[in-house]
Amino acid sequence: MSTIEKYESVIGLEIHAQLLTVSKMFCRCPNRFGSLPNTQICPICTAQPGALPVINKKAVELGVRAAIALNCQTHLESIFARKNYYYPDLPKGYQITQYEQPFCTKGEVFVRFKNGDEKRIGITRIHFEEDAGKSNHESYGTLVNLNRSGVPLIEIVSEPDMRTAHEAGQYLRTIRGILRYADICDGNMEEGNFRCDANISVRLKGTEKFGTRVELKNINSFRFVEKAIEYEVQRQVLAVEDGEKIIQQTRSWNSAKNITEVMREKENAHDYRYFPEPDLPSLVISVEWLDKIRAEMPELPKQAAERFKKSFELSDYDAAVLTSSKEMAQYFEKVVAESKNGKSSANWVMNELLGRLNAVGKEIESSPVTAGQLSELIVKIDSGQISGKIAKTVFEEMFATGKDASSIITEKGFVQISDPAALENAIRKVIESHPSQTAEYRAGKIKLLGFFVGQVMKETQGQANPALLNELVKKLLDQ
Amino acid sequence: MLNREEVLKIAKLARLTLTEEEIGFYQKQLTRVLGHIQDLNQVPTGTTAFVQHIPSDAEPFRKDDAEPFPSPLDLMKNAPSVENNSFLLPTIVEHS
Repeated sequence: MSTIEKYESVIGLEIHAQLLTVSKMFCRCPNRFGSLPNTQICPICTAQPGALPVINKKAVELGVRAAIALNCQTHLESIFARKNYYYPDLPKGYQITQYEQPFCTKGEVFVRFKNGDEKRIGITRIHFEEDAGKSNHESYGTLVNLNRSGVPLIEIVSEPDMRTAHEAGQYLRTIRGILRYADICDGNMEEGNFRCDANISVRLKGTEKFGTRVELKNINSFRFVEKAIEYEVQRQVLAVEDGEKIIQQTRSWNSAKNITEVMREKENAHDYRYFPEPDLPSLVISVEWLDKIRAEMPELPKQAAERFKKSFELSDYDAAVLTSSKEMAQYFEKVVAESKNGKSSANWVMNELLGRLNAVGKEIESSPVTAGQLSELIVKIDSGQISGKIAKTVFEEMFATGKDASSIITEKGFVQISDPAALENAIRKVIESHPSQTAEYRAGKIKLLGFFVGQVMKETQGQANPALLNELVKKLLDQ
Repeated sequence: MLNREEVLKIAKLARLTLTEEEIGFYQKQLTRVLGHIQDLNQVPTGTTAFVQHIPSDAEPFRKDDAEPFPSPLDLMKNAPSVENNSFLLPTIVEHS
């Protein structure tokens, strides 16, 4: 057993998700990414004296929606708190958050892996808070943009239930899928509206006690999540093996150097001097309101997967892949609606389209082949106009050029040969040029049928109608 | 009396560097502030809701509609330095 295999890592994630509201959490400034610096600020989110916060109702609804989606307990009364710390992008000198009584606790989510396994990850709590502004560090100083100050967030805190970097990555993807599906958050890590900190410790396998944990920040891309956690686990194992003591600290992922670096010693909760926010009343959610939010819940990935399985006779795995994002599910549903062939639509989307999209690093939203175009192709196969083999060539061309199947088929003359006379000519030619195989077949070696079919396919450049071809080859050989 | 280490810890959290003289000064001053809080602790608050001062009929929520503040630039007028439409500050370095 190698050194690293003697240890196991214990990982918990804190996910910050910006809520898809029109305005900020406590003021009417637009909640929009990418505007000119400091154009979406007002006296409240810049902490002018006397300004008071008022809670955005929609933000609360989206948070409760997340609580329902993650099978949590929603508390009808919760309170806001001030978390005090000094940083230039935090104009009030405190962040309004929830501490002692969050609106939501005790949830769970099931994470599915490629091999079909499923693992339950506990959710400790979800609470509301406001985002801070953004600091950009330049050579001549630090530039602070407060457009993000006061943007509504939920923080989703998991139990330390993950044991590998891959599990953490899958958990993060699952949460992102759910939040995007339910229109709670955009889930865009690059734009920073979906962020993740990881709490990581290591311990010898078989021991109960947790090691000292390190908080890993600044993991700002999906590509880095697993890499950063893996690096940190390895660093801790090596340190422990060297007899070093792990220090409780905050480290940051440096994606240029592929290492984690010390940011600061971790503040303890009491360093933040949390206390109840005196400017806001308790957050009271009535039973009627909760019921209404529940009734208006959009379909979640798991429900969509069940529906796909039933309506289109798909496997668990196919259904999970096709509901991994809302865009994917919508694309697939459009293809099926027109092609009327669930299994074939699933195969084309998963095998041909996703494979190619992955290869060029594109998401399904920016697929060069639209759902309408793909369904047209499937209809052409099902109606016998082209063979499945030709369809793959046509699809390649569609993906490269964005053209419709029909125009490619016309341009390239890819029409399936379904004319018996034309096929019989080709078959006779093949029979004549392979006298020994013909003799063997006629002497009883009937598995040579496939050989003849293959030769004719070659002769016709794959354009022969396979069903008809089979039938005719058999007929002519048997004569 | 607050000890020297406690003062230095608080200074660090506040990102302040103190001179020897200031350390002694804040030891005394912060101890007095804490003494005052001790006095306040005598007020019985066990049954008091923490938000009692907010009228219960106040509308606790606002509708999610955006209305940009008309003069965001005015909010930057107090800034000692502005660059690129941003508040310009001396370089922030995270200390470990």
